[in-house]
Amino acid sequence: MIEVESLVKTYGEVAAVDEVSFSVREGEIFAFLGPNGAGKSTTVQMLTTLVRPTAGRAEVNGFDVVKQEKDVRLSIGVALQETGIDKVLTGRELLVLQGRLFKMSKEEAEKRAEELLAIVSLTEAADRRSGTYSGGMRRRLDLALTLVHRPTVLFLDEPTTGLDPASRIEIWNEVRRLNQEFGTTIFLTTQYLEEADELADRIAIINHGKIVSEGTADELKRLVGGETIAMAFQDATDAKRAAERFGHEAEGTNVSFELKQYTLMDVIRSLDEAGLQPERLTVKQPSLDDVFLKVTGESYEGGEIRVD
Amino acid sequence: MWTETWLFTKRSLLTTIRNPFSFIPNLLISVFFLLVYTSGLSSVASLPQFEGSDYLNFILPVSIVSGAVGGAGGTGQALVRDIESGYFARLLLTPATRTAIVLGPMIAGMLQLFVQTLLIFSVAFLLGLTIPVGAPGFFFTVLLAIGFGLGFAGYSVGVALKTRNAQAAQAGTLLFFPLIFLSTTFVPKELIEAEWLKVAATFNPTTYIFEGMRAVLTQPEIDWGALSAGLAVAGTMSLIMIVFAATNARGALKQK
Repeated sequence: MIEVESLVKTYGEVAAVDEVSFSVREGEIFAFLGPNGAGKSTTVQMLTTLVRPTAGRAEVNGFDVVKQEKDVRLSIGVALQETGIDKVLTGRELLVLQGRLFKMSKEEAEKRAEELLAIVSLTEAADRRSGTYSGGMRRRLDLALTLVHRPTVLFLDEPTTGLDPASRIEIWNEVRRLNQEFGTTIFLTTQYLEEADELADRIAIINHGKIVSEGTADELKRLVGGETIAMAFQDATDAKRAAERFGHEAEGTNVSFELKQYTLMDVIRSLDEAGLQPERLTVKQPSLDDVFLKVTGESYEGGEIRVD
Repeated sequence: MWTETWLFTKRSLLTTIRNPFSFIPNLLISVFFLLVYTSGLSSVASLPQFEGSDYLNFILPVSIVSGAVGGAGGTGQALVRDIESGYFARLLLTPATRTAIVLGPMIAGMLQLFVQTLLIFSVAFLLGLTIPVGAPGFFFTVLLAIGFGLGFAGYSVGVALKTRNAQAAQAGTLLFFPLIFLSTTFVPKELIEAEWLKVAATFNPTTYIFEGMRAVLTQPEIDWGALSAGLAVAGTMSLIMIVFAATNARGALKQK
């Protein structure tokens, strides 16, 4: 669906995107994860024909993004980082115009607009100027606009940046639904580790214009090792005894190590046999944070989101 | 491409109508110019170089053209708003051609100037305007006004796309205001005394628009030579500006 080979974009002396190669399969959700300025948006702009690559080659839906830009545009849907909405027009007017620009007849465009308004739950607000919409409604309208011509590949550039948690989850659900119900291939960029983890089948981590690692969330996490267990005891002697049973050392009253050959049950049974009772015991999955630190040597400074 | 252009034109017209303050002040200023110039300067028309024509007929083109310059600036500003809202990027992502995307707002700008010109004419008629050659005088003046307006709207669209800044787009059109006055604005060329101003007026395209309009407004018979020169200048300007605007459409999304 998307094939990218050694794609480069330089602005003056700076390489915003530096020899990036990857491929996205049909029906997949693929995430580009990286901090601000990593080259995510520039990549999207090149793949969607808005910006010409300095070097390299890219194909979307089998069409070359430079030589067949019109075919590319007809087959893709794009939601850029800023929502692309004229505030003076109503939601319905924007959707109908969009349909007409994608060669639909007036009746077809009107019917499609009605459908999409229902899908993104904007039927009631349809005839109000979009300038009066809330942030979440505007994103939903923006998403609807990208779907007008039933694209098979969808590009979402930071679809939830700046949204509150509730609207974010709405967008996540919408993205999943598009992928599952219509089999739409989705390329999304995000600076939120949780978002990539939550939505994407495969993730490419991009930093300073280069892809530093690629794989499923689990594959990436395996790079930094498996689950770790952390326990806290009332006194240091207990902690020491517990640590020794697994061949590790305690740090004061705390013990933590990578589980590796043990299962959580092994640990609990072993502690129980020795009559040891930790005050607190937690098992932690490695996060994409850890992955980012490991593959780039830098700690992650992207956005933080809390979803409870 | 024509369907697309029409769709973009319709959309721009809708946007203009919903933002009445984007055109009302400009219209008021044009009418104000007309009133002030006519009442303040009308006695110069008794000079022989005016060949007996009324000063109102002579000055009317100035009001129309300065209104066109101001109004066309609004076209560029509307485009800057689109770039800032991200809507322009969405339009670039449709299969619509770049030319249609910039031509739509230009045509809408031109239609706005058409209505504006009609309104200025109505005020002039109220002030007692009579056109010696009759209806063709009216028709060709309007034609020249919208031709010049289309060119100017293209200029402002091009500047807007190049700078992506509303102030710069406005400043770009303000730079053109001197052109209106470095011309046969208030008196015929024979009456201009400063040699440099005569030279400037000769090279100034606005001069030919003025002369073209006056060729059908002030004379007892149409001066076809001056009229064709005016129409040719308006046509050429429009074409050059459409190309200027369209070639800038792609660059509009370059990172700042």
